[in-house]
Amino acid sequence: MAAARTLVELFYDVVSPYSWLGFEVLCRYQHIWNIDLRFRPAFLGGIMQATGNKPPAMLPKRAEYLLKDIKRMGKYYQVPVQISADDFQRILGKGSLGAMRFITAIDMTQPQFLEPVSREFWIRFWSQVARQAGLSSEQAQKLLEMVSSPAVKNRLKETTEDAIKFGAFGMPAVVAHYNGEQHLFFGSDRLELLGSVIGEKWLGPVPSLPSPKM
Amino acid sequence: MAAARTLVELFYDVVSPYSWLGFEVLCRYQHIWNIDLRFRPAFLGGIMQATGNKPPAMLPKRAEYLLKDIKRMGKYYQVPVQISADDFQRILGKGSLGAMRFITAIDMTQPQFLEPVSREFWIRFWSQHEDINQPASILAVARQAGLSSEQAQKLLEMVSSPAVKNRLKETTEDAIKFGAFGMPAVVAHYNGEQHLFFGSDRLELLGSVIGEKWLGPVPSLPSPKM
Repeated sequence: MAAARTLVELFYDVVSPYSWLGFEVLCRYQHIWNIDLRFRPAFLGGIMQATGNKPPAMLPKRAEYLLKDIKRMGKYYQVPVQISADDFQRILGKGSLGAMRFITAIDMTQPQFLEPVSREFWIRFWSQVARQAGLSSEQAQKLLEMVSSPAVKNRLKETTEDAIKFGAFGMPAVVAHYNGEQHLFFGSDRLELLGSVIGEKWLGPVPSLPSPKM
Repeated sequence: MAAARTLVELFYDVVSPYSWLGFEVLCRYQHIWNIDLRFRPAFLGGIMQATGNKPPAMLPKRAEYLLKDIKRMGKYYQVPVQISADDFQRILGKGSLGAMRFITAIDMTQPQFLEPVSREFWIRFWSQHEDINQPASILAVARQAGLSSEQAQKLLEMVSSPAVKNRLKETTEDAIKFGAFGMPAVVAHYNGEQHLFFGSDRLELLGSVIGEKWLGPVPSLPSPKM
């Protein structure tokens, strides 16, 4: 009998480019590692407020570094993130509350679309590539109406509070439930370590799928 | 003819546990990757001051996380770092200026001891939880690294000389010029460009940029050719 899958929860917000990197890598590994990957769309602004943390780009020298780091990491992780100095301003200004409420509504009603819709938002925020997520206009319209409902607002709030309870102070925040313990990993650069903790092997950010058995 | 080695500069301070992780991994890879690893002992306090950055442990939730993260990373990287909540106070209070000046003196006069002495400082501070700034502590570290008492004493006397103070200052300024805002800061000179990598978790990416393969934090040495 196969070993029970390790539950791996990914708390993310589409305003966070590093969350996109973590997301894509975990989406690949969900078919390779013995994990049950659960998406937990949450509000990064809420986590920052609760913990007193600030976006790293607020430190000028760090912002300069981030521009280069995200490009290189995007290239190595094969995620089409494109970022310029203006982007920081734009994104920090606009925020992501509407997008995260929409994604929460998807989580509540059409969870099979959670992965493609999240990806589409990241592409719109952080890439120039235009793509379609596959929702019909009618479905999209219904979901937009849900966005300001108390149910959706509360659900996003609760998920954000869950992240905070696990100890998150930023994103991406990954929580692995292993051997009766909860292990928090912060950053798209802690996935190799996550693997080692849950008894899996790191095959780089773009692992090959195992060959199908004949 | 073998390809020219890629110059990889490691800016570090022994007050930084993540610098220890980066240091040990690069020490392993210097025998595997086609790199020329150059140690650049610098003063983290100076970098923080110049950039306005603060130690991550000053954010309470981050401090809680760091305690666990350093333990797990230490285990995975096979570096015997041991950390407790008190350590953050210890670092913020005492600093590492004396130790980094001593290491600078080593760099200037006995560079073959740079690797073992740096390691002994980290072991003393981050494994044994002992002082690294008192003269007696520094002499003990030097002896542990293989220096004679006489050599260690001479180096200790150099510590307050203008030459050593300036050298540490210049190295720290070099790190800042490269864009460092924390440590470990690694600068790879590749294809005519300088690539800055911050953190002990950017070594896999460093490898990919300089055309090398990541074999995890504890790579096996290639077997000797018969």
